[in-house]
This record gives sequence, structure tokens and C-alpha cells, in this order.
Amino acid sequence: MRFMVMIKSDERTEGGVMPTEEELTAMGRYNEELVKAGVLLAGEGLHPSSKGARITFTDGKPTVIDGPFAEAKELIAGFWLIDVKSKEEAIEWMKRIPCTDGVETNVEIRQVFEAEDFGDAYTPELREQEAHLRLATKQD
Amino acid sequence: MRFMVIRRADEETEAGVLPSTELLAAMGRYNEELVKAGVMLAGEGLHPSSKGALLHFDGTGRTTVIDGPFAEAKELVAGFSILRADSLEDVVEWVKKWPVEDAHGNVEIEIRQVQEEEDFGAALTDENRTYTADLNKHT
Repeated sequence: MRFMVMIKSDERTEGGVMPTEEELTAMGRYNEELVKAGVLLAGEGLHPSSKGARITFTDGKPTVIDGPFAEAKELIAGFWLIDVKSKEEAIEWMKRIPCTDGVETNVEIRQVFEAEDFGDAYTPELREQEAHLRLATKQD
Repeated sequence: MRFMVIRRADEETEAGVLPSTELLAAMGRYNEELVKAGVMLAGEGLHPSSKGALLHFDGTGRTTVIDGPFAEAKELVAGFSILRADSLEDVVEWVKKWPVEDAHGNVEIEIRQVQEEEDFGAALTDENRTYTADLNKHT
């Protein structure tokens, strides 16, 4: 099962405070453990929402709003994509995220859809198309 | 530059309403266009938050686990993709073509820039850079 694990923003990440050398090293060590265990599929950090945008569609019409966005705690500062056997295993791995002393951190764990989860609505033709697209993105 | 495109959740995605064949086909066509243009690097959909969990680290070493679902549907994520483009404006143009089949044309998409190695400056040393290189090699 694959899970997406999102680390939530706070005033620091939204303020554009970059991680220190110590924090990068701790996170690097943790990520390396995940890689060695065959758990980590991908991982990225995000710039503050001030460098982003939001597009809201109303009956098909898009409205573009530039960042920053107010609700820091509901934004994402980074994510991991992991492959584990259960939600419980995902939780056990993620409990070990190196968090900065004295700073509260919120992490959300969400299960990723697999092709079989969509049932009959996902026709053999559409599944084949997805498989082709996944292969094409891996070849980049 | 890489960008994360986040499809925000809504009542239907949080209720576990699965996409129809029509919507799956429309997203497939859209993603195919992005792949052919060399823009799309990855993309995934997420199950409702009822299948997820929240971890709260209090900053003193204590961790609390809370099982989903989580209340604020509009602030949750229902899916994402990673795109490579020359600017935020280019990504905005791509997102404007989002399939109208999704949520009957009433959907919210957030675009966020992904951090690259060079953004970390001097804090990224030879030592911790090896972790990043190793990670990119194996994932």
C-alpha cells in the first residue's frame, strides 16, 4: 500500500525560513533509513505559499489568486510518498520524523489510490493508458 | 522549476465517491497531454481522510496519533501531480485546462513551487548532499 505523508506548514515554513545544516543532516539520515528499508518512493519540500497560486473553478470558469494563503496550518510544507504493508506501519515510520526541538509539528498520513480501487469504472483501456503514462514519466 | 499541483478535497471526495468512467477518461486525456508536452513528472489520487491519520509532535518528544476522518474537507488534499515548467504562469495556464468533468467544473487547485537543491544554500553540505543524491538514485 502506498501512503502520502504531508508535513504541515507553520509560521516558519510560510515565512520562508530554510532548514539549517543540522536539520538537513537529520532529515537526510532519516530519509536514508527509509530508502534502505525500501519504504521511500519520493519526497519533496515546498516553497512558501507566497510563491504559489490558487485556481478556483466555478461552473468551469477559472479564477486565479496569487499566494500567500492565510491558513498556514492547513498548508503543506513537504511530503513523502512511501510503500508499506499497513497504515500502522506507516505511522510507526513517521513517528520517527526528526522534528525540531520546541517546535510543534503536524503530519498527515493518507492512503494513495491504486488502479484496482476504482473498480469497473476504470476500464481495461483506461488502465492501459495509465500504465503507459507512468512508464513515460519514469523514462524522463 | 518543478511545481506541485494540489487538487483540494470536497464533500464528494471525502465521502469516498469514486470517479466515473467519464471522469477517469477525461483525467487520462489531460494527463496524457501533460506527459506528451514533457511537463508531467508524477501524479496520484488519495483515499478519503477516513482512511488516514494525523500525527502531532508536541516539540518535547511526545507524539499523538489521531485517526481520520478530519473535518475541514476544503483544506484537505484529494490528489496531486508534480509538473516541470519554466514558470508559475506556465503551470497556471496548464491548470486552467483542468477537465470540467471533475466536480462538475467546481474545483479548487493549489500550485506550489518545489524546493530544489540549490535553494538550500550553504546549509546543504557535502555530507548531507550525499543523502539527497542517494535518495534521488533509489526512488
